[in-house]
Amino acid sequence: MQPILELNHISKKFPGVQALDDVHFDILPGEVHAIVGENGAGKSTLIKIISGVYTADEGMMHLEGQGEVQFNSPREAQQAGIATIYQELSLYRDLSVAENIFTGHLPRRRFGAVDWPMMRQQAREILHSLEIYDLDVNRKVGMLSVGNQQRVEIAKALSRNARILIMDEPTAALTESDVEQLFKIVRLLQERNVAIIYISHRLQEIFTLANRVTVLRDGQYIGTKQVAETTEGELISMMVGRTVDNLFPKLETEIGAPVLAVRNLWRKPFTLGVDLTVHAGEIVGLAGLIGSGRSELAQVIFGISPAKSGQVLIDGKRVKINHPGDAMRLGIAYVPEERGSQGLIRQMTVQENLTLAVLRSLTQGPFVDRNAEKTLAQQMIEQLRIRAYSREQIVNKLSGGNQQKVVVGKWLASRPRILIMDEPTRGIDVGAKAEIHRLMSELAMQGMAVLMISSEMPEILGMSDRIVVMREGKVAAEFSRAEATQEKVATAMMSEQNGSGDATVIPSQDPTPVSGGMSQQ
Amino acid sequence: MTTQEAPQERSNLQLSIRNAFLGQEGVLVVIMVIAVIVLSFTSENFLTVDNLLNQARLMTEVGLIALPMTYIIITGGIDLSVGSIFGFSAVMLGWLWKEQSFPLEAAILASIVIGTLSGLLNALFIVYVRVPPIIMTLATLALYRGMAYGISQARSARGYPDWFFQFGQRDFLGIPTQIWFLIVASIFAWILLARTPFGRGIYAIGNNEIGARFSGIPVNRYLLFIYVFAGFMSAVAAFLFTSRVSTTRADSGTGMELDVIAAVVLGGTSIVGGSGTIHGTLLGLVLLQLLKNGLSLSGVKGDATIVVIGVVLILSILINNYIQKRFRQ
Repeated sequence: MQPILELNHISKKFPGVQALDDVHFDILPGEVHAIVGENGAGKSTLIKIISGVYTADEGMMHLEGQGEVQFNSPREAQQAGIATIYQELSLYRDLSVAENIFTGHLPRRRFGAVDWPMMRQQAREILHSLEIYDLDVNRKVGMLSVGNQQRVEIAKALSRNARILIMDEPTAALTESDVEQLFKIVRLLQERNVAIIYISHRLQEIFTLANRVTVLRDGQYIGTKQVAETTEGELISMMVGRTVDNLFPKLETEIGAPVLAVRNLWRKPFTLGVDLTVHAGEIVGLAGLIGSGRSELAQVIFGISPAKSGQVLIDGKRVKINHPGDAMRLGIAYVPEERGSQGLIRQMTVQENLTLAVLRSLTQGPFVDRNAEKTLAQQMIEQLRIRAYSREQIVNKLSGGNQQKVVVGKWLASRPRILIMDEPTRGIDVGAKAEIHRLMSELAMQGMAVLMISSEMPEILGMSDRIVVMREGKVAAEFSRAEATQEKVATAMMSEQNGSGDATVIPSQDPTPVSGGMSQQ
Repeated sequence: MTTQEAPQERSNLQLSIRNAFLGQEGVLVVIMVIAVIVLSFTSENFLTVDNLLNQARLMTEVGLIALPMTYIIITGGIDLSVGSIFGFSAVMLGWLWKEQSFPLEAAILASIVIGTLSGLLNALFIVYVRVPPIIMTLATLALYRGMAYGISQARSARGYPDWFFQFGQRDFLGIPTQIWFLIVASIFAWILLARTPFGRGIYAIGNNEIGARFSGIPVNRYLLFIYVFAGFMSAVAAFLFTSRVSTTRADSGTGMELDVIAAVVLGGTSIVGGSGTIHGTLLGLVLLQLLKNGLSLSGVKGDATIVVIGVVLILSILINNYIQKRFRQ
């Protein structure tokens, strides 16, 4: 069979990261082609290149009937018959189903007036062709369930005669019955020879639905397998099979008494009964997929979104944390995931940012003690080797790595006993990364309890004394440094077969199960 | 880092001198000097001590409210209800004294408490119900004005005892009494904004509210305070106003919020939040009053004055934008 789309040696570089490196595979008409890989493997970048959001630095795509193509905008990709359904749906909530389906190409009458009856008629026809009969085309999209919104997105893609449909984590926000419906629609599309590129973290779905699966790792193409000829274990080892390099100067530490413990902590929908302990001098790595509830857990502990039930214990004593101020007084610091929006006030100076969290203790009477403020800022700049030309430099002008050091410095200034670091090295260069790791290790040696959230497997394995894996709002598994391997951690992150997950299990090859579906393995 | 210390200090100094000249304050000072020169030529009554002190008397009420308004606008909020709180407090003062036979001292205190509570109502909805400030205060602009009309029944209260006029019509230590209120309040507001953790928090909230929350800044408490402060200052201004004009009417302070906001924005506070100063606001306030006065002395009619003020506002913002683009990188 002739491939509908061939990717030839696609490369894409972002500052500091080689996001895709010489990726090449092909997509056949009428197949469901899954793409898997860890967080940061390059899946998103790849689909953005196929759909015209990004342009590849090197390499070409070959589209059946059109030859070599290079899309400069999403519109060009759409015109070539490629439609994309992102995790964040791109519908207009206040427009009707029919209007959304025909956004950008409304059927017209003479003089350019919209042909409303025609539009509704065609919208109904498209929905019926997907065997959707219960969706009123006049309803506002904002009133629909997520599952129905997704169906509208699919109908929208078909209204443009898409030949290739890209679906990015389509089941992440769906209920069980919506997932079944989606699979039914995917199979209908397959019969019509639409090629589907399917991104998912849920390996079981891939075994249910896909024909072939391509594995990416660290921006590189690892291989393509017929689903029928592979296993979950093989895919996981392809996804993680790298050698852990010795970038991480993890120092041996004396592990002390428990400092932070949480017991059965709840805050729906992301924190569903979490138990976790961090000891003095210990670095606990919190692993999990994006959306598994790791950052949300940190924010519950830090009081940004306080717990609804459960206990937080500091040194074995039960404490109540209702807002970040409470957490700070208890010696907790949180270096958040989003440097720009959560960690820094980017328009303010290095000094103002470094002292922001502790300013209320740097006072003489009611006034800010400006000498103490300067001294503290200078000390942090030197301790963390922040490369700024002055304390008065606007933080936004610093490099990513130096900005991150400012965030870390801001929280070290509060002299915490418990340091929570959320993706501490994301998007920063190798040098700054090594410095942050060295610092983390030194802090642990001095007795600090460190909880490190990371989506980078080498970082998790290299830095942690103990690894806790979260999945769907719960702790799914726990490994000591000695017993942890990439395969074990990745399996716990992705697979329902390990641990206590009660997630939906999709019966294979049967699109319409009558059992009601909930089963546990 | 340490070896570069000396040149850094110099570049900082140069930078701050350049900023002082090129910032909104610099532009305002230049415009003000030009305005004073032009106006003193067109009217011989303009540049006299009596006239200038009288103008200061007239601008006090707007000035007092512009102080908390500076805080509010720095956080990215707005308070449209200050003119209505002003009118409502003034009416309550007169009504409690005249109709309810309160001692005048008690009526003054009660009217200030009522203005403060009016600010608190705004604050509670803005902070806890998360109603956008512009919507909440637009609603209470109508609500408080309506209550002022309802309670006063369109009757004005007059006939205050003589001591009451000390605040609004007489002098203390050689200058109009109410200017002392403005001076004290301005110093307080300036120190609070420029020298305390609270002030730093206000700027942080205006630049990035989420970041401020993540830094452990008590964002809700600070926001509550500034809207309550605006209610309080509106009521104090209403008291001084009543003393100055010797009567309370339900339409007092109608449209006043526009003067207040104009002074703050003219003073260089960014309407989207994040930057602004008290001294800038005071410069804006003075410039507005000079223009109003100078133009009326020169025989420009009331409507034309408003037009000129609008033009000055637009010009000063344009000049500031131009300078920021041109010189700050």
